[in-house]
Amino acid sequence: MSSISLLNTAREGLSSHQTAINLTGSNITNVNTPGYTRQVAVFSSLGCVNVGAGQVQLGVEIEKIERVYDKFVGVQISDKMHDLGYSEAKKGILEKVEIIFNESEGNGISELLDKFWSSWEDLSANPSGIVERDALVSAAQNLASIFRSSSAELVSVQNDANTEIAGLIDQANIYMSDLADLNMEIGAIKTGKGDANDLIDKRDEVLKGLAEIFDFQHLEDSNGAINVFLPNGMPLVIGDRIWELDVEANPANSSFYDIVFKDDSATVLNDTVTKGKVAGFLEIRDNKIASYLNDLNSLAASIIAEVNVRHQLGYDMDQNLGGVFFEPATEAENMWVSSDISEDVNRIAASETVNGDGDNAKFIGAFKDEFFMNGGTSTFNDYYASFVGKVGQDLADEERGLDHHTNLMNQLINKREGISGVSIDEEMTNLVKYQLGYNAAARLCNVADELIDTLLNLVQ
Amino acid sequence: MAIRVSENMKFNTMVNNLFRVQDSYNEFMENMATQKKINRPSDDPIGMGRVLSLRKSKASVEQYSRNIDNCNSWIEITESKLYSVGELLMDAKEIAIAQSTATASAETRSISAVAVQQIIDEMLSLANAKYGDRYLFSGTMMDEAPFSSSYTDNSRIGNFIAAGDNTFDGDVTAGGTYAGVPYVVRIVTGGDLGEATYEVSDDGGNTWGPSSTVPASGTISLPGGLDLTFHNNGTNQLAAGDTFSLHTVEAAEDNTFDGDVNAGGSYTGSQNKTFVVKIVDSGSFADATYRVSSDGGKTWGGLESDLDTGTITLGDGIGLTFTAGTTDLTADDIFYVNAFTPGYYNGNSEEFSINIGRDTSFDYSISGESIFTENAGGSVDIFKILNDLKDSLEADDPDGIAAQLDSIEEASVQVNENIARCGTRMNRLEIAENNMADLKYNLTRLISNTEDADIAEIATRLAMKEIALKASYAMASEMGSLTILDFLK
Repeated sequence: MSSISLLNTAREGLSSHQTAINLTGSNITNVNTPGYTRQVAVFSSLGCVNVGAGQVQLGVEIEKIERVYDKFVGVQISDKMHDLGYSEAKKGILEKVEIIFNESEGNGISELLDKFWSSWEDLSANPSGIVERDALVSAAQNLASIFRSSSAELVSVQNDANTEIAGLIDQANIYMSDLADLNMEIGAIKTGKGDANDLIDKRDEVLKGLAEIFDFQHLEDSNGAINVFLPNGMPLVIGDRIWELDVEANPANSSFYDIVFKDDSATVLNDTVTKGKVAGFLEIRDNKIASYLNDLNSLAASIIAEVNVRHQLGYDMDQNLGGVFFEPATEAENMWVSSDISEDVNRIAASETVNGDGDNAKFIGAFKDEFFMNGGTSTFNDYYASFVGKVGQDLADEERGLDHHTNLMNQLINKREGISGVSIDEEMTNLVKYQLGYNAAARLCNVADELIDTLLNLVQ
Repeated sequence: MAIRVSENMKFNTMVNNLFRVQDSYNEFMENMATQKKINRPSDDPIGMGRVLSLRKSKASVEQYSRNIDNCNSWIEITESKLYSVGELLMDAKEIAIAQSTATASAETRSISAVAVQQIIDEMLSLANAKYGDRYLFSGTMMDEAPFSSSYTDNSRIGNFIAAGDNTFDGDVTAGGTYAGVPYVVRIVTGGDLGEATYEVSDDGGNTWGPSSTVPASGTISLPGGLDLTFHNNGTNQLAAGDTFSLHTVEAAEDNTFDGDVNAGGSYTGSQNKTFVVKIVDSGSFADATYRVSSDGGKTWGGLESDLDTGTITLGDGIGLTFTAGTTDLTADDIFYVNAFTPGYYNGNSEEFSINIGRDTSFDYSISGESIFTENAGGSVDIFKILNDLKDSLEADDPDGIAAQLDSIEEASVQVNENIARCGTRMNRLEIAENNMADLKYNLTRLISNTEDADIAEIATRLAMKEIALKASYAMASEMGSLTILDFLK
């Protein structure tokens, strides 16, 4: 065992500890970097050599720089991201729908419907009164107008969801292309036997962003690349190759988007994604809002039909049989008071006989208590009240779901932080530890130097 | 086992908790500001649904209260008019008693006749009283005053009236188009066309112009472009006292049928009615089909197609004759004819009704027919009695006068019965009104229970949340200040 080798050992020690200190420094400065996994230097002994009867320790080296992470937590987070994105998307859109039907302050469809029936009652009390007729026309026009505007606003929210989908697909394409690039770089470094730790961190972030958009399966292949597949198995990213997504107009409804592959626009992918923001927007656009529109149209169509039928049995001020009161329509967006009646209120058929008895108006006024909806079991107002309740319930459900998923996500993130996050306390103590090692190694250098000196000075 | 705690964990946890506390705090703030528990449907979907239903019920109740008020006003006025009628009858009775004795003379009787005439005039104005736009005692017919001053001997058929936008536009027996005062033509001396004389009233029969002879052509021309044509196709000649009144004829704006329509025949019904003819299938007379209604257009008879000759019978002796013009009859053309029984009454026996509760319709008007005539529940014709009394007084006929006494007694009873009817109706309305007031109170309370926030509770919760928030903020400020860096040299 020579002094030179001692010097060597000291040198190994110095450089190892230097590396370790650098690493600690990098951990400390990255304490706030999102998605950063801390790295630790793994010291390992260089072993020893047999020299004659004894052994010589060779020193220390940094075997590798290890990235401390738990793969399974990563997968769990990715899955949770799908659920989170789904709930978030749905909640956002449903909040907009709730605003349209927020009846808590009054002045909504419910109140205008009440006023409409009231006006008929007032008319029955004074069938020839012009004031009452004008009031009725005005109430009817307000009712028709709010049906139209509610319908239009629902459609506009639907279009919002639609636009979001297009934006998200573009975003997804960017993520996928980033993923492919990173795959390539990481593969190159790995074949070169290097560590691609920070690139892997970046890739994890990209994957998390993609997970929010739609759900997918992913696995790591032998080259260290992450391959991403749609839930039905179709590939999106394999190695550095991607299959881009695109949106195209739905043949049945040209203002709505379908999701397709850019290269294969025949296959519609809407049903293959079941979670993530895209699926959330699709679900709201195609199912929820479509059903709300249906309910609203159903209510409007029924009111129009029933009032018209009865109105046409009565007589107006000129002894004519009543015409239509509302323009015949089956959808809320087409609800208008008949222009004949708006122009000439005498045409309101308030009476059941040619003498002005007001009984027809009385009959129509009593419609508010008739069971016209739900196959003869609900009144108009009850139907609307339960519709508003449904909107509220749907939103409340989504809010609860979002809360739940957010809590779970927070827990998972904390768990990941617990494993991979930087703790300043720990790094500081490590710094002290490595500095001590460094100092000790430096001292060893000194001692080795003195030994050599002494040896050299032996022979004068 | 010790758990690793990283910096991010510490800060994440603290921030998340802060958000959670702030969220609750904001929620309570909102409840305080709006004083409601339910500010949007998602706050309490079931509660919101219930609130909407309750609000609708409350609006209903308010409407019914308004309706009840309207009824009350009408009935009160009716009652007060009837009281006055009762008093007039008392006056007539006193006169009758006084003048039927031997102490009265021809002079006193003729003076009393004038007094009775005044009573008649007074009663006429009471009977023709209006409330708003409507006659109190005309049933549902609003075209003209319910009672005329003179007796119509013959049952009378009003001219047909075509509904506003009939496309069939006809001239009536009265030619030309006219809107306004109801003309009445009364035959003074009977006879054939060319011999009979007539006089015209332009105020519904109150005052008369000079008499003239009916020309041989049978066409009398009246002011305003109207003319009346008598067709000599019946068996009877014009007789003295025959009265024909012309009603407003609407030349329907949209009518395109421009033939003639005559109403003819003599009405054999026992009550005033409105007959309505509705064209069902359009076409020429041979093709068109129609239905007839005898209750003003509410219920219809079977489908008839015997228009071919142009003449149809409506029932009760009334016929309608169409003469073709340039345009055919169109579906939904409406023609109606008012038919009147002999007497003073020009209204019908229908009553106005209104909803005063759910599925509860309430008749609030009493028709003049029930009050003043012997039909529709009455037993005597009051105007006839008074006019007979006046005639007897003028004729100086004590027996005739005495004969009216019983009738006047019966008339008083009739009026009192109707006053009692008003009373019972008002009682019923009062009960309904009280019910409505109760309901309204209960509904308001229910709505408030479901929807309103209990301020005391909210304020307490808010104070608690505020403490929690302050604690969180205090923790947050401590978080960054305790690290190992302070202790390393």
